[in-house]
Parts: sequence; structure tokens; C-alpha cells
Amino acid sequence: MLKKPSATAKPLWKKAPFKSSYDAVIIGGGLHGLATAYFLARDHGMTNIAVIEKRYIGFGGAGRNTAIVRANQRTQENVPLYKEALELWPVLTRELDFNLMFYNCGNLNLAHSDAALKAMRTNVATARFHGVQSRVVDPKECKELVPALDISERPRYPIFGGMYHPPGGIVRHDAVVWGLAKGATAKGIHIHQGTEVTGIGVSNGKVVSVETDKGKIATNRVLNAAGGYSAALSWNLLGMKLPISVLTIQAMVTQPLKPLLHHVVSSGAYHCYANQTLKGEIATGSHMDPWPNYTTQTTARYIKHQAEALIEMMPCLSGIKFMRTWGGLADMTPDMAPIMDGNHPHEGYYLDCGWGYFGFKSSTVTGKYMAQYMATGQCPEILAPFALRRFQEHRLMGETAALVNYTPDN
Amino acid sequence: MALTITCPICGARNGYEFRYGGEEKGPKPDEAALRSPEAWCDYIHFNRCKAGAQEEWWFHRDGCGAWFTIHRDTVTNREIPGKEAGI
Repeated sequence: MLKKPSATAKPLWKKAPFKSSYDAVIIGGGLHGLATAYFLARDHGMTNIAVIEKRYIGFGGAGRNTAIVRANQRTQENVPLYKEALELWPVLTRELDFNLMFYNCGNLNLAHSDAALKAMRTNVATARFHGVQSRVVDPKECKELVPALDISERPRYPIFGGMYHPPGGIVRHDAVVWGLAKGATAKGIHIHQGTEVTGIGVSNGKVVSVETDKGKIATNRVLNAAGGYSAALSWNLLGMKLPISVLTIQAMVTQPLKPLLHHVVSSGAYHCYANQTLKGEIATGSHMDPWPNYTTQTTARYIKHQAEALIEMMPCLSGIKFMRTWGGLADMTPDMAPIMDGNHPHEGYYLDCGWGYFGFKSSTVTGKYMAQYMATGQCPEILAPFALRRFQEHRLMGETAALVNYTPDN
Repeated sequence: MALTITCPICGARNGYEFRYGGEEKGPKPDEAALRSPEAWCDYIHFNRCKAGAQEEWWFHRDGCGAWFTIHRDTVTNREIPGKEAGI
């Protein structure tokens, strides 16, 4: 329910005049776009920048994810990026002077077979190699961490053990949107909400302009950070296809409860991840209808699935009501890893997309390195493995082997 | 809104009976053409991700096992008339 803003409420970010020229235009006022703008200003002194958002900032995935952060991904290319992302939350909380409500409660991922436990040992080894805290735990320790879990033989998929990752947790996603908007505009960046990009002008292989429904902008750098809409935008504006499928992923929250879930719990077998918000609701994420669509609709099928999965894992939740459900778009790549690229196919065109449902936990660190890419024109080493060319070169990443894996195929 | 898909053999059925099979990309390029990494990547991985009407493949997994194409609006998630409507 929307409340009228009080007469004394002051917006956190400033409105800006629409200029006909910017040093860079960022398409998408989500977390990746806002973070890139913020770091362009903070690290590279570039403040003549516009963030163009078709609806309002945080409308898309930024405000629809389940707010979970972690750095226990599968592959060695991905882990360092997410590790740095985890380390950035407290830094940005201080720097933006805005409480992002980072709650590093730790993540417990459950194994329901010997095979899953073996996979966890490999995953833990990767994490430790990169200095990320992670360890395999037995069912008894799972129960100590989350007393609500049923570790008996009763559930359809009994618990064989788990992987515990203490530095992960949850962050309030709206606060990150607002904090970054506040920080970026304070440094002079312009955010234009309710503005639609309608074209990208290219001349002699170089980006020269961005057309919007509010007017044309001369610029030689543009970043496509449109999240779920990035692939359609790329096709519509540049005729450029991407290895992406856009699916709607659903999430929901229960009525508020007294604190009972002190860690994020997830299970690949049940297709279920859950955390208790600081308001007491169990926020739980779930399935995606396995066909592309842009509806953000929710379906009774998955509300039922989610209730069944939660009760199998934590029988004490039986009878608890869901209060609210929603959906968001996930731009999925074949290898479950993102695409970050620059100066391709045109000089000055930058891509930051294909994040699937990992866009939230990666947003700030990606902004930092995409800003470096755009400011210098040189790809930072940490981003090099994520180039679009990997799909031609058969260098797909192994993130599909991650434990928590909810691809459209399963 | 639940998706209903019209199987050419079984008629209109609940969408969850079917498996999505990808965007219609035209005939498969011949083996020689697919040896180029660009053509391979384009055929195997790349999508238009259209927000709107598209032609796409479906497999009647929990039914007769037929493979066929339909037209669907990806924004409304509704099956729509196909070629006769000029899409």
C-alpha cells in the first residue's frame, strides 16, 4: 500500500536537468547502473554522467530479489568477485552514510545425498583457496545452526549434511538503491527516471549518441545495465543477439514470526531458499516458470511448491500464511555466469548483463569494475573471463555445477 | 495467468505439460557452416529475447511427445494466432 509522502519528507537524491550531452550514459537505474555511476564518480572523477531509467530506480531486479548475499560460488573466476562484493557492504554503509542493514548471519546450504556432500567438499575447497570461509557440516551441526530443521529420516529428502558459509547473509536491497542514488547524485550524477531509451547512435563503429523519449544525448560511452530487459534492448537497439533467456522468478514472504531462523537456509533438492527478515517474515525464493516471459507474474503452482518445501525442511512452519508474493525477471545465460564486456560490437558500447538471479549480490563490485572499464577503456583483469566471446570460444564457465542451481532445465 | 498451449495432436492443454524448446531460428545450418565458431554460437546460444510476439518450439513432454511451434506474446504470456496473423 502506498502512503502519501509527508510534507516534511526530503528526497534522498536530487532531481537534475536533462542535458544534451554526457560523458557516459547508463541505461538502467537498477543497482548495477547506480553502482557503476557511483564508482565512475568516486574512483575516476567522472561526474558528467546520466543514469536513464524507464520506470523508477529499483523497479526491476534491484527491488525484487530475496536480498541474499554470499561468496561461495562454484568457479574460481566468480568467487573473487563475490568475495570483494561481501567486503564492500560495510565500506559502502560508512561511505554512503546510509544503513544498508548488512546482516552477516551466514548461509547454510543443505545436502540431501552423498553426491551432494561430495560436491560440497569440492566447493568448500574452492572457497578456501580464495580465502572465503566455508565448511562442510554434519546433520547435527545443521540442527544446531537452525533448530527448526527436521534432520530425521521422515522428509522426502533427508538431510545428509550441509555447507556453512559464515560471512554471507542478507542486505536490505531497497536501502542499497537509495544509498547509491544518494551517493551518486551527491557527486553530481544525473538520474533521469521515467525516461525511455529509444535508440543508440553509432557512427564509424563508435557510439556517438543515445536517443530517449526526452531528447537526444551526445555521448561516446553507453552501458547497457538494463537487467532483465538488457537482451531485448540489445536486440531492439543494435540488432545484437545475446546468449540469454529471460525467465520470471518468483518469491514470497510469510506473516512475521518471532526470530527462529538465524541463518539463510537453502536447498537445491527442494528448490528452496529462505531467510528471516529483520521484520520477522520468512522471505523465500523459489522457482521460475521454465519458459521466457516478461510478465513478472506469480503462479499458484509455485506458492504450493514453496509451502510444501518449507514444511518438509522446517515442519514448525506448518500453518503459517504467506502474506505476499511477487516475481522478477532473471536474464539467464547457458553457463549461469554473467556477461561483462566493452567496446563490442561498437567502440563505447559496454555490457553488464546475464546475471540471472545473482545480480543483487554482485551489484556493487560489478559497478566498481565496470566503472574502471568505462573510464579507461581497458578491461580489468577480474572481468576478462566474463567476455561475450567465451560462448564462441567454448569457454563456458562451470557455474552450472553450483550446488544451489535452479536452471530452467530442472 | 496460466499458460495454455495448443498441441497439434492433443489440442489446448495446460502449459506445464510442455517443455519449452527455444526460439524458432530457422533451419539448422549445414555442418560446414556450423564449423565457424560465430555460426555455431549464433545457432546454439544466441536469442533475440523479444518482448512481444515470437515463434517458438515446444515439446509435449507429458503428452503425445510431439515437437511443434506456436506463436506467443512474451509480455502477456498468451498463445496468439501465428502466421495467418502476419507475425
